[in-house]
Amino acid sequence: MSTVPAGLPELISEHGPHLAHRTGARTSSEAEPERLVDTHCCFCGQQCGMTLKVRGNRVIGLEPRYDFPFNRGMLCPKGVNRYLQGGHPDRLLTALVRDPSHTGGFAPIAYEDAVRRTAEAIRRIQDEHGPDAFAVLSGASLTTEKTYLMGKFARVCLRTANLDYNGRLCMVSAAAGNKKAFGVDRAANPWRDIPEAEVVWISGANVAECAPITTDYVWQARENGARVIVVDPRITPLARTCDLFLPVKPGRDAALFNGVLHLMIENGWLDREFIEEHTVGFDEVAASVREWAPARTAEVTGVPEPLIRTAAEWWGQAKTSFLMHARGIEHHSHGVQNVLGAINIVLASGRIGREGCGYGTITGQGNGQGGREHGQKCDQLPGARDIDNPEHRAAVAAVWGVDPDELPGKGVDAYEIFRKIDRGEIRGLLSICFNPKVSLPDNAFVTRALEKLDFYVVIDFFLSETAHHADVVLPGSLHEEDEGTVTQVEGRVIKINRAVDPPGDARQDWRIVQDLAAALGRPRGFTFDSPREIFDELRRASKGGIADYSGITYEKIERQKGVFWPCYDEDHPGTERLFEPGSWNPVAKGAGPFWFPDGKARFNVAAHAPPAEEVDEEYPVILTTGRVVSHFLSGTQTRRIGPLVDQYPEPRLEIHPHLADHLGIADGDWVIAESRRGACSLRAQVVTTIRPDTVFIPYHWPGRRSANQLTVSAQDPISKIPEYKVCAVRVRKAEGPAEEIAGLEPQQG
Amino acid sequence: MVPDNAVFAVDPSRCIGCEACVHACAECDTHRGHSLIHLEVVDRSRSTQTAPMVCMHCDSPTCAEVCPADAIKRTADGVVQTARKPRCIACSNCVLACPFGVPKMKTEFDLMMKCDMCYDRTSVGKKPMCASVCPSQALYYGTLEELERLRPRSRPTHRFRFGEQVITTKVAMMVPPDGPEHVDVAAALGAGPTGRRESLPIVGQDV
Amino acid sequence: MSEPTRVETPDLRPPEAQPRWRRDFPIDWPEDHLVARRDFTKFLVLTSFAFVAGQLWIGVKSLLGRRAPAPGAERIARLDRLAPGEAMQFAYGGEDALLMRLPGGELVAYSSKCTHLACAVVPDLERGRIACPCHHGYFDAASGRPIAGPPNRPLPRIVLETRGGWVWAVGREVST
Repeated sequence: MSTVPAGLPELISEHGPHLAHRTGARTSSEAEPERLVDTHCCFCGQQCGMTLKVRGNRVIGLEPRYDFPFNRGMLCPKGVNRYLQGGHPDRLLTALVRDPSHTGGFAPIAYEDAVRRTAEAIRRIQDEHGPDAFAVLSGASLTTEKTYLMGKFARVCLRTANLDYNGRLCMVSAAAGNKKAFGVDRAANPWRDIPEAEVVWISGANVAECAPITTDYVWQARENGARVIVVDPRITPLARTCDLFLPVKPGRDAALFNGVLHLMIENGWLDREFIEEHTVGFDEVAASVREWAPARTAEVTGVPEPLIRTAAEWWGQAKTSFLMHARGIEHHSHGVQNVLGAINIVLASGRIGREGCGYGTITGQGNGQGGREHGQKCDQLPGARDIDNPEHRAAVAAVWGVDPDELPGKGVDAYEIFRKIDRGEIRGLLSICFNPKVSLPDNAFVTRALEKLDFYVVIDFFLSETAHHADVVLPGSLHEEDEGTVTQVEGRVIKINRAVDPPGDARQDWRIVQDLAAALGRPRGFTFDSPREIFDELRRASKGGIADYSGITYEKIERQKGVFWPCYDEDHPGTERLFEPGSWNPVAKGAGPFWFPDGKARFNVAAHAPPAEEVDEEYPVILTTGRVVSHFLSGTQTRRIGPLVDQYPEPRLEIHPHLADHLGIADGDWVIAESRRGACSLRAQVVTTIRPDTVFIPYHWPGRRSANQLTVSAQDPISKIPEYKVCAVRVRKAEGPAEEIAGLEPQQG
Repeated sequence: MVPDNAVFAVDPSRCIGCEACVHACAECDTHRGHSLIHLEVVDRSRSTQTAPMVCMHCDSPTCAEVCPADAIKRTADGVVQTARKPRCIACSNCVLACPFGVPKMKTEFDLMMKCDMCYDRTSVGKKPMCASVCPSQALYYGTLEELERLRPRSRPTHRFRFGEQVITTKVAMMVPPDGPEHVDVAAALGAGPTGRRESLPIVGQDV
Repeated sequence: MSEPTRVETPDLRPPEAQPRWRRDFPIDWPEDHLVARRDFTKFLVLTSFAFVAGQLWIGVKSLLGRRAPAPGAERIARLDRLAPGEAMQFAYGGEDALLMRLPGGELVAYSSKCTHLACAVVPDLERGRIACPCHHGYFDAASGRPIAGPPNRPLPRIVLETRGGWVWAVGREVST
């Protein structure tokens, strides 16, 4: 049983989150680094280059890395502080086994014992209930080598169909939309096309706080005369200085894009030649937006009509442009429709596949791109292949040396895995790089499901809130303790270099997975000696697939400062910009620049539908959720870094003064925000920078401060992404913090 | 010595409030964990506007002028250094006198600390940490030629008027190209946010 | 009137027209050093002359001082005045001194002038020592020997005698 083995205060006291700060001033030679290691940040998909200063086996600081072309030395506060994870008091130095009699609920055990116990549990569960009764949840902040290995491990070693990853919460709407429209899921343009754009359109992306380095690109476009349009229910820091701000009501993005397309068609602001030559499906989409006249669009989206008209005019008449979007439009029960709507206005303008004419989703996690390409999704095989496609299965099975029939079929998405756990269909779970108790919606349900597991094993370097439920914890490696590749937001494959060795019994995650395979008696295919060997097999496994890495080598990456996939052979330089006229791709084979047999992009009807949970008398306020600049994802790492916690110690409920006055709430008051699923305890922040019908909570905190106690698990039918960005809540003033958190520091829960 | 052609320019309108500069400053070995610069939040209830406060390295540094202990010195390249620990008596005269609000009194050390343009880096030709990491390049450090090439829509100014007093600085502030000769701080004090007002059609006012 | 491009002085008058104290306390570091160097030699000569004069004076004074009679016996306090761990100040031969009963019961007394730079020492009998707050010097309470910090010479011990129910100071051990 995977109930939590000790009370929360005891767990926190033993395993954190505790805070690491920069140590005091040093004037002795101890401050001098012995080595400088060029690598990248461990956090978001911008993957800023940075240089670590190493002395002995410790990272003692950082240097800006001016020579990496994407960020040229720039970093956000998370990158500047990341190295404080090293030598952290909460670091898991040994394997742990659940033991309620031990202080903190976990007792250290020998690593080999932990591996053996895990293998025994897996065998027992699979023998009794079948291979699919054991599931694997992986993550996209791992190197591509590890994401590839997790996929192979689940399919070849565990032979379970039940594998998915935390990108299900992140990139899947963009992935599905891009695949439907372009046939390939990757940013269409490098970021250096942004400064050449006359109009930069940003929808549902808090660039300043979630992709800070992109801010300079957007400002450079402004210096060159660009106008910036931002669509968001909140005035985020970049929105503050934009040229046109559209305060869209959460859940109405497809309607807005349809409204813009309607005006483009009405005024002839279209590239008819491009539409004719390079696309199919325009007529059907044009018919579908006939009803989206400006008045109707304004009514549905909550954006005043003059703003919609201005946006359409600027977008429609620009010669060059760049449209980017992020989770703001993708985290919806019709997230894929929103993405298709965005792509429709790009295709209608014809401004793609050329210099200064660009489109891309802003990938959130460090390896959100690479981590969604090589087989750790429930329906995917390496090379962005489909697990249900017989040809794809045969190709990958050949590289793996297995019979294609041995490979399991399609599994279910991450949230469905939890439903299966709840129903008793899945009895055991292995997770890495995932903290669903904080990051999945309706997390009270997730907790109940976790408690039903017969066996739960976690690979991690800190004891996350989800890991409190583990039976066995295996001590994994930090980003700077391993080597490998990552594919950043542009589709550029870059190299992560190892700076230090893992401490204590901790070891590189890929070694742990291989040890598990050996303990299960199925080591074949899991005997790599280095990440480079894994990468070489990955190159072979991806060859001929859509995400073709076969021509990429570590040396080429260092030489070229990154290689954009597809890269077909060792002489190929990589593909910086997709969809260039006359370009070749393995699907169209020269028929056209897009990745369908006819080489043409698809217009898809972007069907507007209201959010799964609309406001009503009982829950009259819209809740939207998001992030703050000094925290990352579920906060397992950033809530342990002192300076980042000092910057944002606790979540604040952003609420407009009209709504706050109506509810009798002043700035700084404790409030309870409630939905049908739970209640969140936090302090209010009264600001005019948010729609008066909407409140906002950042989600990086666990327990009673968690925004995901409130969010709804409704999922997009195509991508299965949960609808984080809109649900119904009510807000009331509280006397103080909820009882459970009154004695805790804000970063603890 | 800081190279002659190096320009440090601040464009507060670009600031996104991320504090990368503050954290990077605190990386310096000589004052590790304590940032010499800070971020000003103008009025979060009305706007996300923020401004990074670096020392402006004035030509006639008021902080040094008012220091009774002669603790604030300027090197030949025009960089006004932070207070010297053996001399500083923590009287806070400089904190009160600086027109930009730059020096901070660190009571735990009995010492004023302020930005020294990352002197351990700039004096050997490296970029300051804050301007290196700033993701919006609100803090810029480079040559004037590069600044002019990158910022056609603004120009650097070194003059500020505080009431009757004019201050000229080594650090530039970016202002609109057709704006006045100097930044008139007193006049700007009462100004509200610029931009357009739109009223939203919020359905159902009885939320 | 057009304003100067650079405002280098608060009153806008040129550097030559500034008062003398600006030159004596320059903001610019290179100038600051120049002043020091110029005056440094003057400073050196004057201070070394002052040291020589001072040494001669100390020498004369101690020659004179030797002919003064050593202090005789003086009564200090009742025997039961101090419990173990307690201390009191007294004057002996015109100088401040410290009487202490060590935790073991023994009575000791010393001159309270630190042998480093003559600050007044304070008892710290819990830790069996006598401390000088000026430069963190410490002496062993039982022997008067220096155990930490700058002092090199032991605290001059004052010889005690019990007469009747009283403690008497009867002499001072001279330390070199």
